[in-house]
Amino acid sequence: MYKQWFGNWKRRLVQLVSLGIIGEWSFYGIFRCPFAVPYIGCGNCPVIQCPGRNLWMWGWILMGLSAVLFGRVFCGWICPGGLVSEILSMGAFFKNKINRIASNLFSVGKYIVLALSLYLFFVANNPRWAIPIRTGEFFKSVGLTFEHADPIWIYKTMAILIALGLSIFIPMFWCRFFCPTGGALELLSRFSLFRFITNEKCTSCDRCLKMCAMETRPSESNCVQCGDCLDTCKLDAVEWRSRIRST
Amino acid sequence: MEKNGLSRRRFLKTGGLALGAGLAAASPGFSQTYAQESLQVWSCGGLAEAFQPANHEFEKLTKASIAYTGAFAGALGKSLLTGSARTEVFGPRVLELAKKLKAQGKMLWFKPLCFTQYVVATPKGNPAGIESIKDMGKSGVKTILAPEASPPGGKASMIILKKAGVEDKARANAVFVGDCVQTAVTDLVTGKADAAVIEKRIIHLPQFRGKLDTLPIPEAFIPPAPVPFTIGVMKWAKNRALAEAFVDFILSDKGQVWFHRAGFIPAQTEEGQRLTRKYGVMDV
Ligand code: SF4
Ligand code: SF4
Ligand code: SF4
Repeated sequence: MYKQWFGNWKRRLVQLVSLGIIGEWSFYGIFRCPFAVPYIGCGNCPVIQCPGRNLWMWGWILMGLSAVLFGRVFCGWICPGGLVSEILSMGAFFKNKINRIASNLFSVGKYIVLALSLYLFFVANNPRWAIPIRTGEFFKSVGLTFEHADPIWIYKTMAILIALGLSIFIPMFWCRFFCPTGGALELLSRFSLFRFITNEKCTSCDRCLKMCAMETRPSESNCVQCGDCLDTCKLDAVEWRSRIRST
Repeated sequence: MEKNGLSRRRFLKTGGLALGAGLAAASPGFSQTYAQESLQVWSCGGLAEAFQPANHEFEKLTKASIAYTGAFAGALGKSLLTGSARTEVFGPRVLELAKKLKAQGKMLWFKPLCFTQYVVATPKGNPAGIESIKDMGKSGVKTILAPEASPPGGKASMIILKKAGVEDKARANAVFVGDCVQTAVTDLVTGKADAAVIEKRIIHLPQFRGKLDTLPIPEAFIPPAPVPFTIGVMKWAKNRALAEAFVDFILSDKGQVWFHRAGFIPAQTEEGQRLTRKYGVMDV
């Protein structure tokens, strides 16, 4: 576990720095964002304390760009939600117990949530489901938000918290099966120019899969380009490949 | 259209601050320091853009720290009236709310703070040539409405349109009907719509500043309830002197100028005093 956590220390460092920069935005998005879909309509948001008002445009541009260049690198290196999922997954009860077929089946969940989010944002004009606590101490404001939110906001927030919390049982439950951002980045990552892949030396021994927090293999779905599996393969079958060079 | 960022000196001149003597009497309080002391202040969220810089200035002057929450006054009021919520100073919209809190003994006293204004907003340059609120009912005019927005953005605007006799036509002309005034106003800025009835404070928000023109709405069309804001000291104020010094500061020229800049009519101006009398904003 120690090796997995600190072996790739550069990734941990980047995650911590990003937690400092966008972590607060994540918490606001979950607990205080009054809109059905957080993080998107921030330019007009009445919650003046949320850092999203300054970060959102560049955040999304850079995220999209990163996916086209490096696949789901945002998930593996930057996302505070991913870091929280990893922490919760550390002692997960059902590590490597969900078979590939079930895992692939549940993975569809994140596309369903993505489709729902896109519908709510583009078709339903991103309705407001909670009273915006425009400014105020974080925890007191969270309390007020819960007190005055529509029931549907409470259900949505509970669904997010439960999906995040389920990582205690099934590793990275939220990121693998539920996160709409992960779903969008997964789709874009199909076109990524650089990524980890398994090469022809791979014998499918699944050593990489057993140590992978996302329970996948390089170049397969849900790989977040973390690079943690790079040194696990004794056959040097995991490599960082540029599509430009290889085509 | 009125220029944004009017200087304080000009505000004092044009606003005709009538309570000079009262303010002078309140002034010594500001020089007193309250280091290490904190004060919890809640207000209607519409006032957040004014309260934030005003609070900051009070903190600089007195070394006290202000823990400020701004949100829909109806929700905050409900928490205070029926829940276990507590705050030391409260600046609600709607006079009735202040009166109810006073009647329950939760608010010790209150004073008029400021008044909101409703306007017809158009994109910069008014490309559709809107001349008055009546034009929102003309065919071909694209309107935006946010009837589901938390009061007063939603319901009050609809009442104004109704009193102007154009509600149905303005609804039929709507290119956007939503639940968030700020989202709706974006369509105005981008020119997707021609006109909307909004609070003047909205055009002072950083994202819309300088991007909209406004036309006045006859006062007879404006419902009284959402117009006045008050500020009062609550029974939970731990340090009454600090809470009172804060209210004095907010009602002084230094405090009130922020409310003017955010698009409100400060209570301490001649116009504010006229509205105080008109709406009967009295603590009884
Ligand atoms: S800025 Fe507003 S819309 Fe964006 S995440 Fe924060 S609370 Fe939500
Ligand atoms: S899947 Fe979602 S929560 Fe997980 S790392 Fe990616 S963006 Fe973050
Ligand atoms: S397969 Fe390797 S690079 Fe991809 S997520 Fe798993 S450990 Fe990280």
